[in-house]
Amino acid sequence: MGLIDIAFALINGLATGMAIFLVAAGLTLIFGILKILNFAHGAFFMIGAYLSYTIIGSNPSSIWLFVVAALVGGVVVAALGYVTDLVVLRRLRNVDEAFMLIATFAVLLVCSGVVKLIWGVNYASINPPPGIDGAVIIGNLFIPSYSIFVIVCGVAIFVGLDFAIRRTWIGKMLQSIAVDNWMAALLGINVPVALTATVIVSFLLAGVAGGLLLANQTLSPILGDSYLLLAFMAVVIGGLGDVRGAFIAAILLGIIESSSSLIMPDMPGMATYLFVILFLLAKPQGLFGDHGI
Amino acid sequence: MTGLKILAGIACAFAFITLPYWANQGVMFLAGLALIEIIFALAWNLLFGFTGLASFGHAAFFAIGAYLTGYVLKAAIGIPFLLLILASGLAGAVVAAITGLVLLRRTTGIHLAIFTLALAEVLRLFIGYSTALGREDGLASIPRPVLELGFTTIQITSGNAYYWFICVMALVLGGLLWVICHGPFGRVLVSIRQDPERTAFMGVNVRGYRLTAFILSGGFSATAGSLYAPWAQIVTPETGHWIHSTQPMLAALLGGAHSFWGPVIGTLVFSVINYLTRNLIGLSEVVIGVVLLVIVLAAPNGIVGLIKMIRRRFFSTPGSSPAGTRS
Repeated sequence: MGLIDIAFALINGLATGMAIFLVAAGLTLIFGILKILNFAHGAFFMIGAYLSYTIIGSNPSSIWLFVVAALVGGVVVAALGYVTDLVVLRRLRNVDEAFMLIATFAVLLVCSGVVKLIWGVNYASINPPPGIDGAVIIGNLFIPSYSIFVIVCGVAIFVGLDFAIRRTWIGKMLQSIAVDNWMAALLGINVPVALTATVIVSFLLAGVAGGLLLANQTLSPILGDSYLLLAFMAVVIGGLGDVRGAFIAAILLGIIESSSSLIMPDMPGMATYLFVILFLLAKPQGLFGDHGI
Repeated sequence: MTGLKILAGIACAFAFITLPYWANQGVMFLAGLALIEIIFALAWNLLFGFTGLASFGHAAFFAIGAYLTGYVLKAAIGIPFLLLILASGLAGAVVAAITGLVLLRRTTGIHLAIFTLALAEVLRLFIGYSTALGREDGLASIPRPVLELGFTTIQITSGNAYYWFICVMALVLGGLLWVICHGPFGRVLVSIRQDPERTAFMGVNVRGYRLTAFILSGGFSATAGSLYAPWAQIVTPETGHWIHSTQPMLAALLGGAHSFWGPVIGTLVFSVINYLTRNLIGLSEVVIGVVLLVIVLAAPNGIVGLIKMIRRRFFSTPGSSPAGTRS
């Protein structure tokens, strides 16, 4: 285990972490403001991926087409999010959280069923577009340029989201809703519209994430599950609803996931869950404690 | 109304017992699975519907029972089968006691959900990496056992015989759970669910009761798993997958979590939907999803709640049970 191995594991971990964050971003946003643990998030992530795949096929011709396809997928998923909000989430705003959980799980079932009906259960694999299909070589270090692309996307989305929440009036409004939506409504904020907008943005993020993470993995109807679980863990460790926390937690999880191949090479994946359990036993409120988004 | 309920129960039991005479092998297999899942769902609901704790990793207990039974039967060690079922249940209970001691100390709600989910995933990954347990392929061709009752031995190696054995066990285990839920212990659990603080105020050891419920629930889930192994004759890591953990959840909420019979009705409805939509991949998920959505949106108390509501509206009997009490 030389220095190169460690550097490689770190870069890999960062890329994995950013992939987790791309999924966790929308999840934590919707949790912070609507207090919903959205089981269907992974399914919409998957729908975004399938939509992109339908647009670009297995061998996308350029990096721009790749990104545009992800955005188109995101917009379509955002529209689906609006419908979901209208039909399901809005009606359940004031009921017990167990029912919300089962409702989003029902949406998850419908989505994965529809994906199977439309696209079948066969696996598809997608190559990265030219430009990010190679690797950057620094000395002995070999970095896939697609990893760099994912890291850049993750950081860009984090910076954009963090800026929007902390520096703009929309963000301040959402923060006040997250703290106390009854009081926010009393102050003249249009809470229902803000909640619907949050759902739409969250679903947009899910759809875009699906498109961006499409390359270098097998696309199948179980794609949503694996990411959803890691994203859940990132959201919980980050402190439920905290975007910054989720960002740092995703990086931590990514690095543990990739370095566990160095520490426990026989059992990939195990270290991540053990870390989650130990972390939550020590710090159940998450990284920065509970304080809204 | 109670008469009607008893009649429905007897009709249902009769249908299950006579099933091998009028249904084909495939249906019988599904019926056996449904009975096992009913026990699993009832065990989960002891924790959720009665105690108010939602575990998202109950498939782990199921897998513990299934793997223990499957492994011992395959190795032909010669432990009597009933003892093996008991041992599986105890194994589940011991694991539940250890995890419960650590987890229930400080967590409820969403944290407990994530904890149990993560622990179950650790177990599933561990099984997947364990060569003795067949890695991802699982344990295949598990033999069905011979029942030794001391005074006599019963062959339950054939499909029909083992099916009836499942019927008997489901009755016994379901009956035990019914007694637990409806006795004084169950009533304390319900009061903990409704208001843990007040219950603690009345001098109830809330954490102790929660832990006991967790242990019982884990033990019964493992017992259900133990019945599953010889029935399916194959156990794979999928039995411990979190998707399987959601099965009892959905069944309980679909049927009505605040009623003892809710999980039973929910599991039966799920089995029927699965059977009717088996030919088109993906369709069963869409149908189950839509049914669940309709239930959640239109009848948040599940099918049992829906029946009660209809009964109140159309057959409003004086002195009918007030809201909040269970059937």
